Amino acid sequence: MGLVLIAMVMSLFAARLVQLQGIDPEEYAAMAAARGTREVVLPAARGDIVDRTGEPLAVSVEGLMVIADPSQTRDDAPEIARILATGLDADYFTTLQKLQQDGSRYEYVARRVPSTTALAVVEEVKEAGFAGVYTEGDPVRDYPAGDVAANVLGWMGTDEPLSGFELTFDDQLAGTDGSARYQVGGGNIIPLGDSSTVEPVNGEDLQLTIDRDVQWYTQRVLAQTVEESGGESGTAIVMDTLTGELIALADYPTYDANSPLLSPDADRGSRALNDVYEPGSVQKALTAAALIDAGEVTPETRIEVPPYLESGDSRIGDYWEHGDLRLTLAGVLAKSSNIGTVLAANRFTDDELHDYLADFGLGQTTNLGVRGEARGILPAADAWTQMEHDRIAFGQSMSVTAVQMISAINAIANDGVLISPSIVQGTATAADGTQVGTDTATSHRVVSEQAARDTAEMMERVVDPEVGVAPGAQIPGYRVAGKTGTAQRAVDGGYDGTTVSFAGFAPADDPRFTVYVVVQDPSSGGGGTVAAPAFAQIMSHVLRKYAVAPTGAAPSTLPVEW
Amino acid sequence: MSGSEAPRWRAVPRLAEVATTRARLVSVPRVRRRAARVPFVILVTAVLLGGIVGLLLFNTSMQQAAFTGAELESRAEVLSARQQTLVREIEQLRDPQRLAEAATAQGMVPAPQPALVDLRTGEIVLPGEVATTDDGLAIEPKAPVKPAELSPAPIYVDPPAASPETPAAGEAPAVPETPAAEVPTN
Repeated sequence: MGLVLIAMVMSLFAARLVQLQGIDPEEYAAMAAARGTREVVLPAARGDIVDRTGEPLAVSVEGLMVIADPSQTRDDAPEIARILATGLDADYFTTLQKLQQDGSRYEYVARRVPSTTALAVVEEVKEAGFAGVYTEGDPVRDYPAGDVAANVLGWMGTDEPLSGFELTFDDQLAGTDGSARYQVGGGNIIPLGDSSTVEPVNGEDLQLTIDRDVQWYTQRVLAQTVEESGGESGTAIVMDTLTGELIALADYPTYDANSPLLSPDADRGSRALNDVYEPGSVQKALTAAALIDAGEVTPETRIEVPPYLESGDSRIGDYWEHGDLRLTLAGVLAKSSNIGTVLAANRFTDDELHDYLADFGLGQTTNLGVRGEARGILPAADAWTQMEHDRIAFGQSMSVTAVQMISAINAIANDGVLISPSIVQGTATAADGTQVGTDTATSHRVVSEQAARDTAEMMERVVDPEVGVAPGAQIPGYRVAGKTGTAQRAVDGGYDGTTVSFAGFAPADDPRFTVYVVVQDPSSGGGGTVAAPAFAQIMSHVLRKYAVAPTGAAPSTLPVEW
Repeated sequence: MSGSEAPRWRAVPRLAEVATTRARLVSVPRVRRRAARVPFVILVTAVLLGGIVGLLLFNTSMQQAAFTGAELESRAEVLSARQQTLVREIEQLRDPQRLAEAATAQGMVPAPQPALVDLRTGEIVLPGEVATTDDGLAIEPKAPVKPAELSPAPIYVDPPAASPETPAAGEAPAVPETPAAEVPTN
């Protein structure tokens, strides 16, 4: 009898054994393994974005999110909220509301909090005898300088890059997450247990040619300039004349990269590269350099400037009323005469003028690496009318980006050689696969060295207080060459308001930096009164910062009249 | 064929030799010498015990190491978090904006024209110019104009009829440009 009983029990065991081992052994084994196995993602550290000297512009820091379980915190909400609000610098009432949330067991109290702060606060809550507040990992992307260079840096969403260089160079910055699997018992890793680790590959840093301090100063000067002139927006760029590197690329209005959503979308892109406008008289410097290079004129070529000029079926005038003037080419530039420029440019055929301007880089992207870079419009020469020929010579009826224009002016500063601008140090691969950076910069000659030097000397007359239109651009002790621009602004197919600008370089006889300031739609003033003083402020700051000594030579005294 | 036969033929005398040798061996009475059991048992027990204790100690020390490891790891995490926070603090302190604000608070302004001295000759290349408050720079960035969704028009509530005075205008949040849509609530 007993034997039968034992046999029955044994057959039950046998049946169970068959079920466990014969029918689905894999699944049970997996379940058993899973019970004690923990798998964690080892997040790769995102590469930093640094300036030319290694100062951080965007950095990743380990952070934590503080989370509350309202089902545990509801009863003591006011006390806990007081601790959290004080420790996390959060709003008391918002925190209180979260701690009392009905039917929720998971509320974010604060996100992206520095680890030490978060841990200290949670510890404080525990010490006060309350439960239900804990932390979870939450990497923080920090922009230590706030709005400095924000328009090119872009920003990060919760987990992914959303714009700017963060998005364009994400492949380089992001790295690859690793993972670790190990067996745990009682919360501790079991030694000699099964474990495997795939080490994360950290992202690489991205170094820019931007100088953080110059960038900051440029942004503040630009902001003040735009605000005081009642302008709509503005751009200011500083370029290293010899290398084409952008030392500063400022847009205004801008935004704080740490809280991008507080600013409208329009302020978060890079106006210097995405917006096109008609450059106006700054273009005259390019036209003059081309004319001299072609041997059509010299700085002292005499031009008789009438009060107005018929061009096609319209009439071209100057910004000031005058009778018949007798100006040299230098005088035409110094006084920014449209009529004089048109008369000089008439020595060019459409093709000649077009080819020179295209050679200066107008109508082509600069391949800087910034997303959505505009190409600008330089109409094909075979479609030009006489009116277009005339207007393009002084910078209307065509459009550019600010970076195109500063590169073109920089070619004059750089003895006639155009260098493609760059903002990334070394090389980096953009999201669309193109290589950008200082290593891929190209250069080619546009005008002869003599033509460039002659043009620079003529541009010096622009800042002369007696003969020029922009004495505000002068920097005591230095020779400065520049050109103002006050253009009609194309809006929705018509013209409305103005675009004022000033582009120049210093020291004029041995240029080191080129600076370009553009203000859109100021309520009053022109390139000489609005943009030129900003140019002088920014230029003298960089000259000082980079210890550029004055050359000591006497400024140009080219005649402006005859 | 012959090669395989020859060795067999040659092997015969050798076999005989072996047989002779064997025949000469004299059988001796079997003596069963009993090895002492106790030392062996002690040895085995000792080895076993030693093994078990050793294993136990080894395991314990492994566990201990694991605990220490986990503890050190969490300490390292806390320390690296602390380091990062400190680095971040330094960066915030070095922020050009903060420096400029601190300088402005002390009454400093950007120099309009610093003097330049040629160190090779000791000559003043450019005389400096005294800065005035007019050289100050507006360093405070303007508060961003928030997108419409983030800056809803304030809700104005008519005061109760009992108090005839309206609340001071300064109390209502200022709304730049966009005229506030009045939302009557009573």
